[in-house]
Amino acid sequence: MKNRLRVLRAEREWSQADLAERLQVSRQSVNAIETGKFDSSLPLAFKLARLFGTNIEAIFSDEG
Amino acid sequence: MSCMSNPAVRRYLVRFAVAMALYAGSLVLSVWYFVQFRPTGPLAWLLAVLPSLPIIGQLAVFGMYLAEEKDEFMRNLQIQSLIWGIGATLSVTVVWGFLESFVRLQHMNLILVYPLYCVLSGISLGVLQLRYR
Repeated sequence: MKNRLRVLRAEREWSQADLAERLQVSRQSVNAIETGKFDSSLPLAFKLARLFGTNIEAIFSDEG
Repeated sequence: MSCMSNPAVRRYLVRFAVAMALYAGSLVLSVWYFVQFRPTGPLAWLLAVLPSLPIIGQLAVFGMYLAEEKDEFMRNLQIQSLIWGIGATLSVTVVWGFLESFVRLQHMNLILVYPLYCVLSGISLGVLQLRYR
């Protein structure tokens, strides 16, 4: 699943560790989701959407 | 969140250490009692089984960790290493068993199966962590 996490992080100048801290997960988790190696669960996707003040579709895309 | 700041990991490590201490203690007790008193009957059975109980406890401790781990990616990683570890252990032991039967390879003591699983699942976890680094 493609995602815009790297862009959204960059807009806020957050490192992966910063985002991990906010989500209360490990940095490896953020890296795995960001690089598309691991698909987050729906609850974590909602958490990400709330954190970035947007909706899930604006972060994740099932195209390509 | 670093590994040690993860409450589930901290609880797991404490419980694992307790299980290891119980294992060491029960092993020393059983060996000492067998050497000193040569027990027989139910007491011998009980003392023989005693050191295996904390090992079963370690498996339960790992199950508790999986239930308590809130980080879904880390939980997934641990489950993958568990499956790879079990698969690799079963593969090694079944091959060894046939070799023992057909070409008289040295007998593998079943006590070694659990440490073998620990080593193989540990290697699996390391490889998986490299993959997701």
